[in-house]
Amino acid sequence: MTKTLTVAEAALRELLRRRSVLLILLLLPLAFYLSRRGDHLGQSIRFVCLGLGWALSTAALFAGSAARGIEPRLRLSGYRSRHLVVGRLLALWAVGLLLSAPYFVLIRLDQHDVRYGAIALIMLLMVVVAAPFGLVLSAVLPRELEGTLVLLTVVGLQMIMDPASSSSRVLPFWFSREIGTYAIDHTDAGYLNRGLGQGIAFGVVLTALFALAASVRLRQRGHLRVSPR
Amino acid sequence: MNHDAWLAALAGELRRHGVGPDLTGHVVAEAATHLRDSGESPLRVFGQPEAYARAVADSLGGPDLRPPPRQPGPVRLEARGISKRYRRQRVLDRVDLTVRAGQIAAVVGANGSGKSTFLRVCAGLVSPDAGTVRVHGTLGYCPQEGGTTEFLDPDEHFVLVGAGRELSRADARRAGRAHATALDWRPSAGTQARHLSGGTRQKLNLVLARLGEPDVLLLDEPYQGFDRGTYLDFWHEVWRWRDAGKAIVVVTHLLNQLDRVDIVLDLTSAREPVA
Amino acid sequence: MPGVDAERRAQWLRGVLDLAVLALLARGESYGYELSQALKASGLGTVQGGTLYPVLLRLQRAGLVNAHWREGASGPARKYYRISAAGSEALRAAATDWTAFAGSVGAILREVPKP
Repeated sequence: MTKTLTVAEAALRELLRRRSVLLILLLLPLAFYLSRRGDHLGQSIRFVCLGLGWALSTAALFAGSAARGIEPRLRLSGYRSRHLVVGRLLALWAVGLLLSAPYFVLIRLDQHDVRYGAIALIMLLMVVVAAPFGLVLSAVLPRELEGTLVLLTVVGLQMIMDPASSSSRVLPFWFSREIGTYAIDHTDAGYLNRGLGQGIAFGVVLTALFALAASVRLRQRGHLRVSPR
Repeated sequence: MNHDAWLAALAGELRRHGVGPDLTGHVVAEAATHLRDSGESPLRVFGQPEAYARAVADSLGGPDLRPPPRQPGPVRLEARGISKRYRRQRVLDRVDLTVRAGQIAAVVGANGSGKSTFLRVCAGLVSPDAGTVRVHGTLGYCPQEGGTTEFLDPDEHFVLVGAGRELSRADARRAGRAHATALDWRPSAGTQARHLSGGTRQKLNLVLARLGEPDVLLLDEPYQGFDRGTYLDFWHEVWRWRDAGKAIVVVTHLLNQLDRVDIVLDLTSAREPVA
Repeated sequence: MPGVDAERRAQWLRGVLDLAVLALLARGESYGYELSQALKASGLGTVQGGTLYPVLLRLQRAGLVNAHWREGASGPARKYYRISAAGSEALRAAATDWTAFAGSVGAILREVPKP
């Protein structure tokens, strides 16, 4: 537990010290929100949630890439890959909650006649899904640029694709559109349940993928036998 | 240069010239007393710290370079038949190396001869095409680059790596700072690694490898960016670790220290193109 | 040519400084700064610490002097040097040698006609 928390603390410090990046991350969802604030209040909520997802997965992508250098050393210094995986996820989830909180307050004050609880749920799922999503991209793509382009594509598609089409369900942030409809347009609970199911499934699968990628990359190689002296 | 700075510099130079810690303390204390009595400037009374340290070392008959003959301890690292090729290039060809407690092995060879690859195989970071590595004890590894992280300061590095070795925060910080002092470096709190000079960052890298007193130390050209004084400090430290019973593998392309290591593994000949 | 004279004096001193220090210590134990003052008072000029302490270390290592740290009545602890039995012996032998040597050099130099 100490090891996991130490990794989480170090990762959190690193994230919070990238001041300019944090500022951009904090303001990006606001830009999304304001872009539709004038003509379509409901749309602005959907956009701000996607903006949060984009911001957090980008942060996760960069944090994951930056950690690649020191992770082998940490592994050799007595950490197991689960310490590194869980620690880093905890830090990103904490940052995600920090990023989301002011936007929830904004919506609570600025919007009326929407289901606030469902909006909080979207934000929570967004944080849960976006962090491992960015980390998985950092694990499988060699450079940050590729990862950034993939994220841009995913969020762009998520915005323009009709959430009712079945193909859009494979996008990781689809749940936000579905639960968003429930929250804003007061549709039946089917939307909520479908969204919740997809969000949780993506959260679990992406986290498992990230854990798998890390344990493969940081595995103890078969040729090396370490025995106590 | 004020008295304290001069005395501190003298202490460092005495250490570099192989003067033991006890005598260093005496010489420095005696000089301090003299300066207080005479009220004169240290440069006038004693000259440059480096020159005075050399005179002191000479008066002792020179530094004690060769440690007394030691009985090497049990085997700590055993690499057998390590082979590795990248594309069509055979980098390592059935390389063997055995290092015992209290021994230093230098891995030498031309650029691209596979020195770093061999060390990474020993650390278990790269799989060889053939061969095995056995390590008896704990492993410390100082990579050539990338062993530190940009946005953390030295103390946070000590705590992070130390926790892996089951060190408490206070112990990790204390150990890190003590190892840093031996390299003539006093880490300042709050300076993130990205703001450290290349040489200082390398000192951090080296200190991290030492945390938790691993039995086997794998050092991949750890002195890059060191000035001459720090380079000497580094070798003095390595000899001290050896005398403390560590098994040490150092990748180096500088041959002038080879007379002071126990084993030399030359990888130059291992390299030949695969037909 | 004062520069040449100073250089020659420095060379003479280098040859006999350890004997002079031993002789001073034969009077009684002393410490570095006091020794440098005593050397100056006996007309040998200023011997800086950078020269004096390595000589003391060499004498100590050769077993001709013993050293120990002692708190002064006032002020900091000082390293006191005391001549050893071997040091007294060596000093006696060297003093005889030196007297003979200085006598020979003096005899030759006395033959130089005065202007």
